[in-house]
Amino acid sequence: MVFAQAAERRDIGVFEWLFDPGSWTGANGILASLADTLALCSIVVAVACVTMIPLAAWLAHTRRGEVAVSWTVTLSRAVPTFAVAGLLVPISLRNGWGFEPWPIFIALLLLALPPIFLNTYTAIRQISPSVVEAARAMGYGERDVLFRVELALGTSVIIDGVRIAAITVVATEPIRAFLGGNGLGRFVRDGLGQNNDGLLVAGAMLVAGLAGLTALLFRMFGRVALPDGVRRLATTTTR
Amino acid sequence: MGGVLAQAPNPIIRWEYFIDEWDQIQQALFEHLELTVYAVLLGLVVSAGLAAVALRFRWTAGPINGLTAFLYTIPSVALFGILVPYFGLSRLTAVLPLAMYTLIILVTNIVAGFNAVPREVREAADGMGMTPARRVLRVELPLAGPYIIAGLRIAVVSTVGLVTVAAIIGQGGLGRLILDGLLRSFWTPMTIGAGLSILLALALDALILFAGKRATPWDRSGRGAL
Repeated sequence: MVFAQAAERRDIGVFEWLFDPGSWTGANGILASLADTLALCSIVVAVACVTMIPLAAWLAHTRRGEVAVSWTVTLSRAVPTFAVAGLLVPISLRNGWGFEPWPIFIALLLLALPPIFLNTYTAIRQISPSVVEAARAMGYGERDVLFRVELALGTSVIIDGVRIAAITVVATEPIRAFLGGNGLGRFVRDGLGQNNDGLLVAGAMLVAGLAGLTALLFRMFGRVALPDGVRRLATTTTR
Repeated sequence: MGGVLAQAPNPIIRWEYFIDEWDQIQQALFEHLELTVYAVLLGLVVSAGLAAVALRFRWTAGPINGLTAFLYTIPSVALFGILVPYFGLSRLTAVLPLAMYTLIILVTNIVAGFNAVPREVREAADGMGMTPARRVLRVELPLAGPYIIAGLRIAVVSTVGLVTVAAIIGQGGLGRLILDGLLRSFWTPMTIGAGLSILLALALDALILFAGKRATPWDRSGRGAL
């Protein structure tokens, strides 16, 4: 009952709070918290992309690392973010790096790596060998095969991996508010702490809304960004 | 508690804590296990029902998959938060979201398992005069077993990880040690809570793997679904 005891009931209406401009502005407002959350999440996903897409592409292109893949499948749903961050907070504080952002950054990164790695790897491996052979017969070198055939045809599956990673990260980031940070999860935390159901539900709606919005954005992006042919070729892998 | 003073050195872990606070650790561990078992059992029952519907009426498979995928994307903090006004800071508020998150993996694997049963096997069972119920229980379920167990492993491991988040609503077993340590800036319980929850996940995974191998001796491929 750590956060939940004490405090007299101090209820405000969910929509009353959401529609009050005062809730949105200011250093502790919704907009500032949203920016905070978006910044962390984008950095995490960006770092995961920059490291995992080249690594997985190279491994898949050279037909290496089959074992790594089967491990990643198991790992991808099993990362205990809260526990990992909980382990890292003391270590970070003892080294003078503070509550934020390292522990939660690393915990979220661990969450983002597997789907991006996995989808990039399968995206390239599932391409029919005859396509690659045709490219080679036309005189494509290794680099061209990788960039102009394998990565090009795998784009939609890779984007799908990024989508899964982004949604998972955005959905998990709110625990940061309970680990000495802020971000969009703070309203849920404050709602629980102040025994304020209105704030609690409004905060939960914001958190859920952002996750939903992220999913929607990626869906739209996936439609717009790909040529028809590639989209038809692609089959989604995980989830 | 209270024995630890502000001036005392605050190492990452203080081993005496295991002896001094063993009761508390044991209780947290047990609660963690309990929440995991309730959530996965509830998830398994619901998944079995959903999978049965998806297998019987093929057109429902898409919508059911969409629904479970949607539930999975709802942030846990939000889901716990939304349920608090209805069910309070109770065990139910913790178990319901946890069970919801297991659906995507369990339904997918149960359906994949039953779909993987060769048609000839099903026809042979029918030809031997088995009733449909008997065929499902005695032939199809055992053959789908490895897939279901593979799904169960992932569901259990991820649930153990998510239970810690339920600490924010005063449940959460080992997660409560993490949060408690954080609030008091006392690192030992944090390290113990986080470390034990990871060990618990590994132990349960190994247990199910072992039990599954014993229960399905005919599966020598060593692989499940996914």
